[in-house]
Amino acid sequence: MLEAVLIVAFGGALLTYLVGRWSAKGRDYFALALWVVILGMTSYLHPGKPRVSTFYPGFLGNDLQLRVTSLSWLFAIIVASISVLVIIYSFRYIKGHEKSNLYYLLLLLVNGGMLGVTLSGDFLSFYVFWEIASWSTFLLISFNQGRALAAGLRYVVMSVIGSGAMLFGMLSLYSSFGTLDLADLSEHLAGAGGEYVLFIFLLFLVSFGIKNAIIPFHTWLPPAHSEAPAPFSAVLSGVLIKMGTYGMLLIFYLVAGAKIFLGLGTGIWSFHSILSGLAAVTIVLPSFVAILQNDAKRMLAWSTVGQAGYIVLGISFGTRLAVAGGIFHFLNHALFKSLLFMSIGAVERKTSTRDLNDLGGLVKRTPVLFIATLVGVAGLIGVPLTNGFFSKWMIYKTLILDGNPLLAFAALIGTWGTILYSYKLIHNVFFGQLPEKYRKVTRSSFSTYAPMVILAVAIIFFGIFPGFVLGEVSHVTTTLGFPPLDVELWGLSSDTGMVNTLNLLAAFVIVAAVVWFVFKSGAESPKVAQDDSYTAGAPVPEGKFTYTADFYGPLERVISPYLKDRIDIFYGGLIDFTEFLSDTVRRMYTGYVGTYVAYILALLAVVLLVQLGWSPW
Amino acid sequence: MVAMKVAGLVFSPIIAVLTGLLLTGASRKMVARVEWRYGPPLLQPFIDMVKLFFQRAPSHGEVFDYGLVISLSGSIVLLLFLPIGHLCPLGGGGGLLVIIYLMLIPPLGIATSGGEGANPYISIGVSRKLMLGLGYEVTLILVLLSVMSEYNTISILKVVQAQSESGWSLFSWPLVIPGIAYLLIMPAILGVKPFDVASAPQEISSGSHAEYGGKYLAFVTVGGGLSEFIGVALFVNLFLGGPSLPGAFTLPAGALGVFLGVILFLVKVAFVFSLNVMVSALFPRLRVEGAVKYLWGWPALIGLIGTIVVWAL
Repeated sequence: MLEAVLIVAFGGALLTYLVGRWSAKGRDYFALALWVVILGMTSYLHPGKPRVSTFYPGFLGNDLQLRVTSLSWLFAIIVASISVLVIIYSFRYIKGHEKSNLYYLLLLLVNGGMLGVTLSGDFLSFYVFWEIASWSTFLLISFNQGRALAAGLRYVVMSVIGSGAMLFGMLSLYSSFGTLDLADLSEHLAGAGGEYVLFIFLLFLVSFGIKNAIIPFHTWLPPAHSEAPAPFSAVLSGVLIKMGTYGMLLIFYLVAGAKIFLGLGTGIWSFHSILSGLAAVTIVLPSFVAILQNDAKRMLAWSTVGQAGYIVLGISFGTRLAVAGGIFHFLNHALFKSLLFMSIGAVERKTSTRDLNDLGGLVKRTPVLFIATLVGVAGLIGVPLTNGFFSKWMIYKTLILDGNPLLAFAALIGTWGTILYSYKLIHNVFFGQLPEKYRKVTRSSFSTYAPMVILAVAIIFFGIFPGFVLGEVSHVTTTLGFPPLDVELWGLSSDTGMVNTLNLLAAFVIVAAVVWFVFKSGAESPKVAQDDSYTAGAPVPEGKFTYTADFYGPLERVISPYLKDRIDIFYGGLIDFTEFLSDTVRRMYTGYVGTYVAYILALLAVVLLVQLGWSPW
Repeated sequence: MVAMKVAGLVFSPIIAVLTGLLLTGASRKMVARVEWRYGPPLLQPFIDMVKLFFQRAPSHGEVFDYGLVISLSGSIVLLLFLPIGHLCPLGGGGGLLVIIYLMLIPPLGIATSGGEGANPYISIGVSRKLMLGLGYEVTLILVLLSVMSEYNTISILKVVQAQSESGWSLFSWPLVIPGIAYLLIMPAILGVKPFDVASAPQEISSGSHAEYGGKYLAFVTVGGGLSEFIGVALFVNLFLGGPSLPGAFTLPAGALGVFLGVILFLVKVAFVFSLNVMVSALFPRLRVEGAVKYLWGWPALIGLIGTIVVWAL
């Protein structure tokens, strides 16, 4: 069964390509059917206890294995669900593109690769699937050519560094313990020394940190997310970078175990505290950088970096509630960020721009899109009764009560940054004056907004009934070695400090009903257009009666000097330095035999002198 | 206990709405007296509300209406989580963290409603409100974190409870530090001068209220009064012991005690609010940059020191 999923995923990807050569419509539905089947199979895999199966015995003395645990199942099911929705969304988005077959092939390969990563039972298979996903990702990021090529290059360079670090770590593990099997490694690593574990952790952290875009490994993400095709941005942001999260959970908790991970070093200089600190920086800075962005997708990309910070913070803080909150937030983020990328993609397709200074007023033209986006943004901020609220609540709560108010501060202030850029996004796209050129914008097609509506419903559903997911999350944290959470359908019960969405929901529904009733019983209100009202006594100027450009101008002037991406500048400097160094080396090769003879003579002279016992220093 | 809950559910919003409007009227009167004017009658806001409610006013569409309703509902739901004296029907669930988040809903509701109004003054007002929010929220979060860490709870009920036993936080070490920080940012939370950048009537036609007339204006004014009430009530709960008397005095038990507790709470609210009115009567409006720089300066520094002291002790 385990192998069957991957055979369907990879075989299906190739078949989809072939079907596509024959009929575009057939290809679309074939891809969809394929992933609906995979989603069904994945949900069937739901493990009572871990299941292992060997798919290639005896490669370098290692059995290549597939394994499904609670953790990997949770990630696999999210990968499969988001994939199905993204394929539906792609129908219209990629329709008529000359390379649409290639697009589908790569998309399905990425999705299959991710599925393989989550289901791998040993590091070698993990690495293979990881690379399949990474390389297909590179091709998809560069899919639109032009600026996308540079973004893809940036991604691939960092990705190769990450893969190198992982490979190095794997080889080291293999040479030390003679196995790459996850279950075996976890036994061996329990007896290993602290320094060695730290060494392994650092190597894997580079690899997974790059994928998860933790500062200082985040520089690839903003260009990659903004230049990729919109449906693929949804995959990138929703699930692909979460493979880093999965990797971290895997190496820190499943392979090494919470005891080793949390016991590495003491006090604030312990490994996990430093990682928490990095995560806190990863929350705050990107959330503020996002405020400065004027490209909608770039803003969402920075937002992804920030939200990934919450997830890593949860995982690295390492209390039961924090890890559960981090995992829950991963899931929530997959939902709302995919939704937001899809909606911006739809806007871009309709208006052929995503420049926030140039859009506006679309609420009048595309109400469904507006409501879906509003729900997504509410989830992103974590407004109560949407899913983001609950996961963030769990993280805040444990940060406060387990004694780290400064990390809690970072997490909470990051949320305020989120509010600012979220409102800018909503306002500049949907509110304000509808520019003349967008008066004719039509509604999106069914296949475009259906996935968004599904995601929006899920965001609200999981916001009201967090227990549905938390039960599963609690299974996962139990397998990671934490005591189970007291999950109820409406939230968490008292032992962790109660929070109950039922109270909130009931209060909100009743109060809103009363307020609405009172509101309706007031004087009637005729509906008027933008220019037919008070407008503060001023006549409405033609065309440009709107306020979008420089939306947070005064604030930007205060904060932007502090928000230069110094790490990006540093990497740029590193590249320049490398080029300079290589150039210097190149100059040694003059192509003139005499120079080479001189080098040889000089070397000989030095060797002779040393041989004769001459010591110049 | 059930009777208390029901009483809380019904009376909390009513008390808060009435107090909010009364405070609005009182602040006009006080400012007038500072400026040697006679000022409007104390109950003028109530008269205005009734008048406005029955006036026809233009609407800009569904989002325009729903946003406003959501905003006011958010304020009222928040009141159910915020103790008013001994009345706190939903205080047990989620505590201060829920309050922090519920405080977002009213401004975001207005922002959504105003968005469809498509008036640049609204956009400017909302953008300024959010920038100001980011400004004071830095300190506010630090203050709340200090309080929560000190009492080791996220429940506001327990914070109030603890103060009735061990004395008011504002006069205890080390919570006096965050208390001072809160006082320094309170005018910004209430949106009064010198921090009224978001409404700024003479400059941007009251910002987010620019398109509201009739019942819309009535609703948004009630909502404004509630936000002011909430901003002050939070301080009274966290730092002035909620309904408790200072020192060794205690309130009698039973219904009388509940009644006196609410009255005492409202007196404290009125006192703290009038301090802010005095500030607003004296200072001219800051620019947005100025406001943000002020808020991220001393208040944030004091807040940070408070958090670190609480954490270290």
